[in-house]
Amino acid sequence: MNCVLEGKAVKAFGKAIHALSRIGEELWLDPMGRGLALRSVNSARSAYACFLFSPLFFQHYSLDSVSEQDSETIRCQLLIKSILPLFRCLTSIERNVERCQISISSPNGRVMVQFFCRHGITKTHNLCFLESEALQAAFASHLCPNVLKAPARLLGDIVMHFPVSQEEITLSMSPLRVSLRNYNEGGNDHVRIMYTEMSLHPDEFDYFQIGVESDVTFCLKELRGLLSFAESHCLPVSVHFGAAGKPVSFSVEDMVLEAIVVLATLIDSESKGLSQPAEALAVTPSRCAEAAVLPVGECNRSQTQDVPAVMEMIASSQGSPMIHTPALMLLLPQADGLSAADEACATTSPASSTICSLLFRAVSSQQADGGCAARLPVLACCSDGEEED
Amino acid sequence: MPLSTQSQADDEQYVLVASLDNARNLSNILKAITFKDHAIFNATPNGLKVTVEDSKCLQANAFIQAEIFQEFTIKEDSVGFQVNLTVLLDCLNIFGGSTAPGVSTALRMCYKGYGHPLTLFLEEGGVVTVCKINTQEPEEPVDFDFCSTNVTNKVILQSESLKEAFSELDMTSEVLQITMSPSQPYFRLSTFGNSGNAHYDYPKDSDMMELFRCTKTQTNRYKMSLLKPSTKALALSCKVSVRTDSRGFLSLQYLVRNDDGQICFVEYFCCPDEDVEEE
Repeated sequence: MNCVLEGKAVKAFGKAIHALSRIGEELWLDPMGRGLALRSVNSARSAYACFLFSPLFFQHYSLDSVSEQDSETIRCQLLIKSILPLFRCLTSIERNVERCQISISSPNGRVMVQFFCRHGITKTHNLCFLESEALQAAFASHLCPNVLKAPARLLGDIVMHFPVSQEEITLSMSPLRVSLRNYNEGGNDHVRIMYTEMSLHPDEFDYFQIGVESDVTFCLKELRGLLSFAESHCLPVSVHFGAAGKPVSFSVEDMVLEAIVVLATLIDSESKGLSQPAEALAVTPSRCAEAAVLPVGECNRSQTQDVPAVMEMIASSQGSPMIHTPALMLLLPQADGLSAADEACATTSPASSTICSLLFRAVSSQQADGGCAARLPVLACCSDGEEED
Repeated sequence: MPLSTQSQADDEQYVLVASLDNARNLSNILKAITFKDHAIFNATPNGLKVTVEDSKCLQANAFIQAEIFQEFTIKEDSVGFQVNLTVLLDCLNIFGGSTAPGVSTALRMCYKGYGHPLTLFLEEGGVVTVCKINTQEPEEPVDFDFCSTNVTNKVILQSESLKEAFSELDMTSEVLQITMSPSQPYFRLSTFGNSGNAHYDYPKDSDMMELFRCTKTQTNRYKMSLLKPSTKALALSCKVSVRTDSRGFLSLQYLVRNDDGQICFVEYFCCPDEDVEEE
């Protein structure tokens, strides 16, 4: 893969990397016919982001490799901390960088990022990568009953009111209003916590569709990067969600790029519509962040033993009877094969497993050309997914 | 000014008296070489030279010419002593070091000679402070034997272009590699860190390149930990000259303008890293 960005596009690319750095520690560079996708997932698998830059975003974009030895496109996994410093100071990039060239070359195992700057200065970075199948979250936004489209600054202006340390917020939707409030676990600290709630009239949104009244609680920190990106590009943000427990997605798009962040939401055992199997879910609210702050529950000792229990949880959190066991068994080892962090994920508390309600499947080249991958979200009923890994 | 009311008799005891209306003209430049506690001072009729060394591999010198001082009186050809540089800087900033316009600390630095402390008279807003700092026998600075006749490659760059590169350098790299050549890549800084390597190339016709005189291709590596302190001098400077000699020793010379627009120089010498042979 070889592409060239110029001027402002370099800054936008850098901003995307900043947003992805809020999600996880690895970045997947996935060059495809329809553009270059940058993806990241957090270690708890409860947050996923993807920025897709179409070929039009680039001054030059080709999947042909620079050297003749590569016969196929390489998908690479980089540590975000190795690429983020290259784009850390966006104002200096805006001032100095005229052109940026990115190419992936497999014989060297390096991604080359080259900046052509003012005064004839050239900066070349050769970053090590791992060849790896990319992840893609399985999320059907078109099936979501609730849809909002907010003007560019609206959501950014709202979340500004929550302290930076605020981990989770709750988005509530009713036919008369949409509100955002902070979410705090545990009942003991009523006195010490400041509650913030903001309500909006449906007219504030460019598009308002309510299918089911719901409150969804998700991690705010992971969203901030996308909101900042949307604001800087003046793009409206679309929000798709359903009942509590189902993932929520935030997305932006314009002529040359699309970005989406999918976040898992907390299951609320008190909410009306959802039935939960009693034993599997100690509905302890948990942090979306990877650290296992909560004590480990009994049922999640090790990967292999737990597969049945985890699947059960996933089945219930989705609330979908269509998902039958064998397919999930196929999925989980697949997702887990991607990194050692997954084992840590499974051994965290039961509650955080309930948050791991995003289903993942690997992106393969066949899928990329198939119709169902033409849009980012994929039907969550991976029951037809006896498919490839 | 209270400092000038000292009696003539006192002055005759001193072998060195140096006065500045603005102590920052000295303290700022000394900050550029403060990576070790101790500094060797050497005063001659030409001015003051302050030297700081690290493990015999790195040496930094700050030159403040006699013309920079409002008064510079020296009774011997050469006066040398060693003091704790951190303490000296603390004294020079004893009034808080704030940069309010029109307010500056005046300095009168006096030395009676071997065995006597370095005496600083500092005044700001009518308040006078007297500091006496113990001196030690000055060590002999390492002679890197770097002379212009042995210089193989020399470039002079505007500091602005290097400042950004140095602030972005991959600190996980143990070495900074400098390549200078009459042909491509002309002048290149390279690092080899945990995530991969990076190269910063400055072409000879760049408008940041004020002088380019390279006679042969040379690549040398220097320990990053040794060169890191030079970033302070780079930050203060407007131009920097980079020279290497036939042995690979590096000389970095920084042109620094002080608050009053006068020019001072800071120089760093560094030995090449011999642990790694070229691969």
